[in-house]
Amino acid sequence: MIVDLIPDEDQSAIEDTIVSFLADVLPVERLRDAKAHGGAAEAEVWGQICELGLFGLGLPEDQGGLGLGLPEEALVARALGRNLVSPGVLAQLCAPHLATDEATRDALISGEARATFGIADGYVLDGEGAEWIVVFGPGGASLRARSDLSLAATDGGLDHTMTFERIEGGAGNAQPALRLEVLIAAYLTGIAQATTDMAVDYAKQREQFGQPIGAFQAIKHSCADMATRASAADTQTLFAATVFGAGMDDAVEAAAARTLAKRASFENAKANIQTHGGMGFTDECDAHLFLKRAMVMDMLGSDARARRAALTA
Amino acid sequence: MKIVESAELASFREQCRDWLQDNVPKNRPDDGDAMREFDLAWQAKQFEGGWAGINWPTEYGGRGASVLEQLIWHEEYALAGGPPSGCMFVALSHAGPTMIVSGNEEQKSKYLPTILNGTENWCQGFSEPGAGSDLASLKCKGEIDGDDLVINGTKIWTTYAQHARWQELLVRTDPNETRHRGLTWIVGDMKAPGLEVRPIKTMAGLEHFAQCFYDDVRIPLKNVVGEVNQGWKTAMTTLGFERGTGTVAHQIELATRVDRVIEAVKSFPGGADDVQLEMLAGLKSEVMALRSLTAASISRGMHETVPGAEGNIVALYFGELTRRVNAAAFDLLGPHSLERAGYNYPAHFLECFKWAIGGGTSEIRRNTIGERVLGLPKGPKAV
Ligand SMILES: Cc1cc2nc3c(=O)[nH]c(=O)nc-3n(C[C@H](O)[C@H](O)[C@H](O)COP(=O)(O)OP(=O)(O)OC[C@H]3O[C@@H](n4cnc5c(N)ncnc54)[C@H](O)[C@@H]3O)c2cc1C
Repeated sequence: MIVDLIPDEDQSAIEDTIVSFLADVLPVERLRDAKAHGGAAEAEVWGQICELGLFGLGLPEDQGGLGLGLPEEALVARALGRNLVSPGVLAQLCAPHLATDEATRDALISGEARATFGIADGYVLDGEGAEWIVVFGPGGASLRARSDLSLAATDGGLDHTMTFERIEGGAGNAQPALRLEVLIAAYLTGIAQATTDMAVDYAKQREQFGQPIGAFQAIKHSCADMATRASAADTQTLFAATVFGAGMDDAVEAAAARTLAKRASFENAKANIQTHGGMGFTDECDAHLFLKRAMVMDMLGSDARARRAALTA
Repeated sequence: MKIVESAELASFREQCRDWLQDNVPKNRPDDGDAMREFDLAWQAKQFEGGWAGINWPTEYGGRGASVLEQLIWHEEYALAGGPPSGCMFVALSHAGPTMIVSGNEEQKSKYLPTILNGTENWCQGFSEPGAGSDLASLKCKGEIDGDDLVINGTKIWTTYAQHARWQELLVRTDPNETRHRGLTWIVGDMKAPGLEVRPIKTMAGLEHFAQCFYDDVRIPLKNVVGEVNQGWKTAMTTLGFERGTGTVAHQIELATRVDRVIEAVKSFPGGADDVQLEMLAGLKSEVMALRSLTAASISRGMHETVPGAEGNIVALYFGELTRRVNAAAFDLLGPHSLERAGYNYPAHFLECFKWAIGGGTSEIRRNTIGERVLGLPKGPKAV
């Protein structure tokens, strides 16, 4: 199957819009202030986010969507990952696909009703203000009313910029959700790219032994490996999105995207910390935020066992 | 981002598949004159079938189709288990494209048709004992004497030099210039007096390459491609003619190998354990990434005319991945993988080391990605 993996003009326009919006309104630096945590920064600008018209992107027009597809959604998800946007925004993109009645779907597309993600048998992430929870585990996804779930507050978890509410009891009725798998891969790919950029920028500017540290091959080659891992995850994710539903094995394509995106985001986030030296170990440097977020987001949907099964079937 | 496989391309794919199914030869000898004869005969057969040089111009015997048809051909070729192009590799993937881009009319009509119809093959004389990664430091000398260039010096690691008719030869013609200035790209004649070729055995046990010694070897100046002292430019313009379509066959072959190991491991009594499956799943996802990286590189080719340094990412990924895949067969299949009979894992394993060395080592590719893709500074200065 021959594909063109370069975004066309319309796809680039969608991506540019979201990228420049996020750069202005939700830069990663916002997370240095605890007041922005738990999705609060996103809630504050929710009206503006809704105006971007993202949430019906991949839905057919007769369902109130824009009639575009998974490639466009993946570009958005990747941009959200780059800026560590609260998972609620990504969940809002996914939720209309899972809605079973028109009213709910319309309310999700317009943003009138808010959604977020829940890790099946785990936690609702950034749940404040969300009426709907996309509960996503190895068995697939289901859209659940928050009021139907039994939730318990926690003192927080690995990513201190997020909130975690424990889901007590099962979430039931999960449907296979390969589309969501691809979008999580795209979010993680965004993290892999952002950490590459951050490491490269620092390597150009930080000097030791009278020269930028990026001149040293230990750093240069580490950056080259970061770029390579990010490209592998990115091209596979975009490939999976582009051929989605076109007769290739979507389960295998999605599992490969998730596997590569996990590796790229985890390894690149760690390499970025190392590239920053002592600064990389501080709270003040944003490097750790990417690692924490990647590790939480990777808990959504398929686990290693499920991906193994798909990839070695 | 979209699917570009049209009905027209799909029917081209069918045609390729049908022809290959009936014509792909088996049991390629892996060394010696028998190999050379096999490779040239197979090229001639493809030419007769109308499948040689799919994206080469029709006036020189090519099919004149686009890079997409070329890509489909490579895919179907690999899926049909087509043999490596072997002794024809340099001619098809490097010398020919260089001629198409930089040769004059006379050169193109002399050399291109004989490549496509399988009568003449090429080798590449760039590397020297003292100039490998640092190719621009090469010393092999060419002095103008009347209508000839007189060559003195040596070239090494020249793949299949002992089997080739012509050679892409990069020599220093201006002794006062250093590095990439003052070099000339000339068509070397492998039958010229004064040239001695000594084959070198590789770690895989085959005489894959050779060292060439030039003692006053005279080559007519009309064999210069591009201009005298502008040889670096000629050598560089070729890069990217194929837009990564050439690696499609290797990528598919590697993917097939992973599938084969998966099948073999699962057929063990007791089946595969989780650790084995995890390793295989990782490799499977990586060969899929290799396919997608290749697709992205071909996509860029559909939009841009000048290839960037990103091709190094695909080459680095392939060079590193192929070693992991071939080593995994031993980890996963146990002692039976040691034997040459059957699928011959030893041959594949030993052979694959070349991909992270030849045509640019992994380290040099990382330098290039760092400096030319990411914009990191050259260096370092002495500390
Ligand atoms: C199978 C095979 C086929 C080949 N076929 C041909 C052919 O047909 N024609 C031809 O001209 N050549 C051919 N070559 C030669 C090939 O291009 C060179 O081997 C290659 O460019 C490396 O050069 P070298 O062998 O001199 O190694 P060196 O350059 O000496 O490298 C030795 C080690 O040092 C590292 N190194 C060198 N410089 C740097 C640096 N700046 N930074 C970090 N590390 C560095 C390298 O990565 C490598 O690990 C072939 C090689 C192989 C293996």
